[in-house]
Amino acid sequence: MKTVLYIGAAIAAAALLALPIFGDLGTMNLVIKIMIAAIFALGFNLLWGQAGLPSFGHAAYYGIGTFATIYMMNAIDRGGWFPTPLLPLVGAGAGFAFGLVAGWFATIRSGVYFAMITVALAELVSAIALKWEGLFGGEAGIRSIRTDWGPFSFQSTTSVYWLTLIWMLLVMAFLFGLQRSPFGLVVRGIRERELRVRFLGYDTHRVKTLVFAISAAVSGLAGGLLAISDESASMVLFQGSGSAFVVLNTVIGGAGVFLGPVIGAALTTSFAYFGANLSHFWMLYLGIAFVVTVMYAPQGIGGAIAQRARAVKAGEKAAFGTGDLIGIVAFALTFLGLIFLIEITGTICSEQYRASIASAKGVWPPVRLLGYDFNPLSPLPWLIGLLSLGAGIAIVVAQPHLRRPRLLDLVTTKAEAGK
Amino acid sequence: METLLVALLNGLIYGLLLFMISSGLTLIFGMMGILNFAHASFYMLGAYLAFTAIHMFGFWGGVVFGTLGVALIGFVCERYLLRHVRRFGHVQELLLTFGLFFAFEEVVKLFYGPYAVAYSVPESLRFTAFHIGEVSYPFFRVLIGLTAIVMFAAIFCLLRFTRIGLVVRAAVLNPTMVQALGYNVSVIFSAMFAVGAGLAGLAGAMGGAYYTTNPNMATELGVIVFVVVVVGGLGSLGGALIASLLIGVLVSAIVYVDVTFGQILSAVGLVSDEVARSTLDVPLSSAAGVLPFLLMLLVLMFRPQGIAGDERA
Repeated sequence: MKTVLYIGAAIAAAALLALPIFGDLGTMNLVIKIMIAAIFALGFNLLWGQAGLPSFGHAAYYGIGTFATIYMMNAIDRGGWFPTPLLPLVGAGAGFAFGLVAGWFATIRSGVYFAMITVALAELVSAIALKWEGLFGGEAGIRSIRTDWGPFSFQSTTSVYWLTLIWMLLVMAFLFGLQRSPFGLVVRGIRERELRVRFLGYDTHRVKTLVFAISAAVSGLAGGLLAISDESASMVLFQGSGSAFVVLNTVIGGAGVFLGPVIGAALTTSFAYFGANLSHFWMLYLGIAFVVTVMYAPQGIGGAIAQRARAVKAGEKAAFGTGDLIGIVAFALTFLGLIFLIEITGTICSEQYRASIASAKGVWPPVRLLGYDFNPLSPLPWLIGLLSLGAGIAIVVAQPHLRRPRLLDLVTTKAEAGK
Repeated sequence: METLLVALLNGLIYGLLLFMISSGLTLIFGMMGILNFAHASFYMLGAYLAFTAIHMFGFWGGVVFGTLGVALIGFVCERYLLRHVRRFGHVQELLLTFGLFFAFEEVVKLFYGPYAVAYSVPESLRFTAFHIGEVSYPFFRVLIGLTAIVMFAAIFCLLRFTRIGLVVRAAVLNPTMVQALGYNVSVIFSAMFAVGAGLAGLAGAMGGAYYTTNPNMATELGVIVFVVVVVGGLGSLGGALIASLLIGVLVSAIVYVDVTFGQILSAVGLVSDEVARSTLDVPLSSAAGVLPFLLMLLVLMFRPQGIAGDERA
């Protein structure tokens, strides 16, 4: 198993090193975005996975990091001395400072209260950014440019790529070390049983505030890298979707595995990059994927892989069995069905389509899907969609290990959760 | 004076609308420990369902359809989705409702597009209720407020004076014991979730007609509703009522104050006039969006359990 891991790591490293030579500009930009999202998700997971504090408002610290870095870039442009490669530290510093204050408030409560407070704090920042045009530049946002530093030029995308890659590795090493350190142990102790950690003599509120601030600092660092890559910042960064995406990345990837958030970030960022061109409704697919993950694979993709790896090592399961094959077929059928239903419904409900009906004098123009034209009034596309979706779900229900969790006694679980 | 009175009345009615939504959220939390992120989505779905049905059944038919439709959606969500993740703990439930919030918004966009729909108060209900000085006050606003009050009274009586209410309150305190006494607690939970969702749907069907109906309405309101329940204390109907009214009135009243932050700070002498006119030229009324959050932070500092919350939570 270890060898597989090493081979995988070697392939990933080779791909990351070779990309600037073989990759085109679009791919390179995509990978930069993935790496930034991965740093953000890793920082977020320190709070979510390690400390067990469900934050739903991390976009605030990310956005603050971006704006702080943009202001510093402008200062450099006007003759400041700050070295460009260290710019993300400005974002991290801003995130840390803000995270200390926000974290102090938010960690007064835990659990769902904590979640609500983080949402409200993020909304507070967003509301301020929306109104304070003098500082945040309003709708248009503010722009800056990258300045060269000493012998290093930062004008090309390749240079940004290297910078982001190096920072990602540094952050990974830092967070991995933190997780292994005694501090990381205390943090996990608070997640498991806070009262007990308190009895051991730790000031848990202080520890939680510090974890929150470190998490916010890493988020701010990711924001700083975004500022360097985009050379601009706007208040859109503070909107709820930013906070939502980092939760999505972490949960889909798996919060219990160190590299889980990275897997999630790579998947959703690529999906957003390609999906946005293919369909107007890519967010809906993402939302459905998220709900399905939460229901059937609460440990996320990374967690599922780790679980399987352990089972293989113990000799309980094959690395890839017929069950997986059936699962993939079921997934493909369900997905195909969803594509048909969602795309055709979405297209015929759009205003554009209504207009084209009117211009064609009441004739419904065909809907183009997967390279074929379908008449939305004929039952064919709807039948394909419904049958495919039904078949996929039927396979899932028929498979014992893919079936949804058995109905558990509601009351006992509630009582347990209350303890 | 009259404008202030109108502003206060507007705030009161907005607060009552907030209460219609937050009461369901707080009831569901008190009972099942679920913080329903998708609760504001029920408000949005109520508005859209009512808008859809209005062509077939008229306005009141639309409101009833919206309420019942959302109650049914809430029931399905609890029975077929939430119940299956309960064994993974509250955070997983929170995540599921978060995903549903996301999915509901996209489904609405799928059917109705990303912009606001033309859902408005019917002509027959557009008349003046009464005059305050020169200002005429629309009847529909009063109706929204009355609906909320009637609803509060109904829930309160149901919980306080009926046998069903007794069982429900007992199920909140000690579900195992109620189950042992022979009551079907999971049906009670599903029904309460449906009722809570239905209330939000009713608020959406009424509020959506008066305010705007667009796919963003869940996000905009959802955050305020969270603030309301934190300030009021999760699980407390009375606290939710007080917090809703407080926030509604505060937000409406501050819009009528016409000074900027810069003016205040320079009057105190903290910043120069020039800074006051450039960077800090932010009207105080724009703090209307920020005010609820500041209130929440204050409550957290001095009374973390909320106005009416109990110490245990």
